[in-house]
Amino acid sequence: MARSARLEEAMKEDVLRLDDVSKSYGGTTVLEGVSLRVGTGERLVALGPSGCGKTTILRLVAGFVAPDSGRILVNGRAVSENGRVLAPPERRGLGMVFQDLALWPHMTVSGNIEFGLKARGTPRSERAKRAADALALVDMSGYGARKPSELSGGQRQRVALARALVLEPALLLMDEPLSSLDSDLKRRLTDEILSLHGKLGFAMVYVTHDRDEAARLASRVVVMERGRVEFDGTPDNAFSGR
Amino acid sequence: MGRRVFFLSVLAVLTAVCALPVLSMLYRSVHIDGRFTLSAYSGVLDSGRQWRLMWNSVSLAGSVALATVLAGVPLGVLFGKTEMPFRRLLSAAFVVPLLVPPYVLAVSWADLLGCGGDGALDGFSGCALVHFSVFLPVPMILTMVFLRTVDTRLEEAARLVSGWRGALFGVTLPLILPGILLSGILVFLLSFGEIGVPNYFRYDVFPLESFIQFSAFYNFEAATAAAAPSLAVAVALLGLERVFLRDKTRAPRILYGEGGFTRIHLGRRGGVIAAVCALLAVAVVAAPLSALVAEAGGGPAYAEALERAGGSLLRSFVYASIGGACVAVLGFLVGYIIHAKAVPGWRMADTLTIFAFALPSSVVGIGLISLWNHPWSNLVYATPAIVILGYLAKYAALGSRITLARLRGLPASMEEAARISGAGWFRSMAMIVVPLSARALLAGWLVGYIFSLRDTGITMLVYPPGHETLPVRIFTLMANGSRELISAMCVIMTAAALLPLGVGLALWRVPRVWRRR
Repeated sequence: MARSARLEEAMKEDVLRLDDVSKSYGGTTVLEGVSLRVGTGERLVALGPSGCGKTTILRLVAGFVAPDSGRILVNGRAVSENGRVLAPPERRGLGMVFQDLALWPHMTVSGNIEFGLKARGTPRSERAKRAADALALVDMSGYGARKPSELSGGQRQRVALARALVLEPALLLMDEPLSSLDSDLKRRLTDEILSLHGKLGFAMVYVTHDRDEAARLASRVVVMERGRVEFDGTPDNAFSGR
Repeated sequence: MGRRVFFLSVLAVLTAVCALPVLSMLYRSVHIDGRFTLSAYSGVLDSGRQWRLMWNSVSLAGSVALATVLAGVPLGVLFGKTEMPFRRLLSAAFVVPLLVPPYVLAVSWADLLGCGGDGALDGFSGCALVHFSVFLPVPMILTMVFLRTVDTRLEEAARLVSGWRGALFGVTLPLILPGILLSGILVFLLSFGEIGVPNYFRYDVFPLESFIQFSAFYNFEAATAAAAPSLAVAVALLGLERVFLRDKTRAPRILYGEGGFTRIHLGRRGGVIAAVCALLAVAVVAAPLSALVAEAGGGPAYAEALERAGGSLLRSFVYASIGGACVAVLGFLVGYIIHAKAVPGWRMADTLTIFAFALPSSVVGIGLISLWNHPWSNLVYATPAIVILGYLAKYAALGSRITLARLRGLPASMEEAARISGAGWFRSMAMIVVPLSARALLAGWLVGYIFSLRDTGITMLVYPPGHETLPVRIFTLMANGSRELISAMCVIMTAAALLPLGVGLALWRVPRVWRRR
């Protein structure tokens, strides 16, 4: 009884949990028996070469695809299980920054940020205030009326981050969001992400193939190879001797 | 309603629109007087005349397909890949014949050569000439579209060792070969299914036979049996397209806008080549259409045309507008189903639309009559709804292919970002996918409008009494109307097709102007 209670308690603290998750596309196994846990406020970085399955993990967690087998829990609630999506993406309460940022070109910056609030029925006045707050958070106040095409790469990056954070997600998914930026800007934005994490305390799953980026951002590193988790531990352990 | 239920409903509607008429037609052709019989088909297979009709149809469609590909591909390369002067104007000029009913061009050529459909152009030569000028834009446009799908780096790698000629013949054209073959198949099917021009030039072809059996003799079984070989040819070609070309041509991925696209510099030869193209445009397009205008004469012919066919013109506008809207909406939903693989039977959606598009109009028309001509379905059969259903069945493929081309250029992350932000599938569609596909929807409407407006084969078979459209009115007046009157009506018909196209293209450019500001 006591053991079961402890287990339940531990599960409650997990913002994200993957139990023995596998995924194949047309006979090619992309993920094989992956198990992971991400605790509250943890910064998990999944590191690995192209095609190792790290982006697939994010897509499974977001609910865009279902695992062939295994179970995914978000905030203690099963959201996908054995080939079925139990909760669609919009009901998982997650934030995500995409590799291509996916800013909607037909909307203004404010329109992009307010979209999720509108979908959740937030009143107009509150939407405007929260969007302004989110823009201020990423140092983009005054850019609300612009279109994404009128922004620089770094500014778009910040807007994508603001759009994900305005919904106050417990878990933020980031799919190589800095991969297209030069190294100086990358370093600056990495610091900004860390600073935002310090202020807001969200848990984060960050996917990259860049070791430096992983070393700077991670509180825990998962190294992936051919659809399997090869290493799971602290950044220090991950990069010592590798 | 859930996403899957919604898209399965769309698939059900598509099946009802595109497949049920043909299935109903086939069923009624073998189920006569309450029993199963193949008697309607025995005549088709036994008769030497039927084989001659088939030879006429195949030889006409084959010759036209070959000639249009041989001429259209070089034109497409010149307009789509070189810096030739006036290339936009010239390419637009060549497209005009495709936008009007083919028999309008037949009347134009007859006016030009002064034979009025009773002499020099009768038979194969007249049909081949008119079909050539009408369908030449198909390989030309597809070549231009597919040229935009070739990765410039592949051409640049070839240019380093062989110059443009080697790059073009060694890399570019082989890469777009599936698109060229597709254009040949399309022209074959379009030419094969055309009845207006063979009727005008008195050339017996198979689709015309089923049309005559139905409209002149009202022998439904014979009409169906005569339609069956046309159906078989369309299915066979569709099968070839499915097997060999499907994934290569279903939705060409446009890699470049005007900015990142490399064009061949023609130097001084550019002017000479442009002059040759202009001469060809004059010969194939401007001369016959000018003859049409000249034959119509002044105001009296137009006044009489509007008096006798004003109502038909208005109906044409209304039906084509509604048809275009239906083609755009259903085409968009079908395109989305195919792109997103939204339901298990998504491949069927593509097959059904292309199947209906490939069928001769007479087959679609007879199928619609077979399905809807019942006392219980008079609400459809006895109203213009039957005409709209015909347009939808025949042209939904155009809307879906346009949507597919647009959606392939739209990252999946756009919609995924909306879902993860908390929007359900319907809101994501309405707020993200639809606005980002607005121009594809407009293009779908425009193409649907033009093809519905120019449609003669389906409309002529299914229109309810008192609901004839302008193409049908002109077609029926051809037998006893004066040449001036017919020519004036054809000019009005051409203007009716080109005017909304001009407005549509102007609207198309508005967002670009806004962007520049």
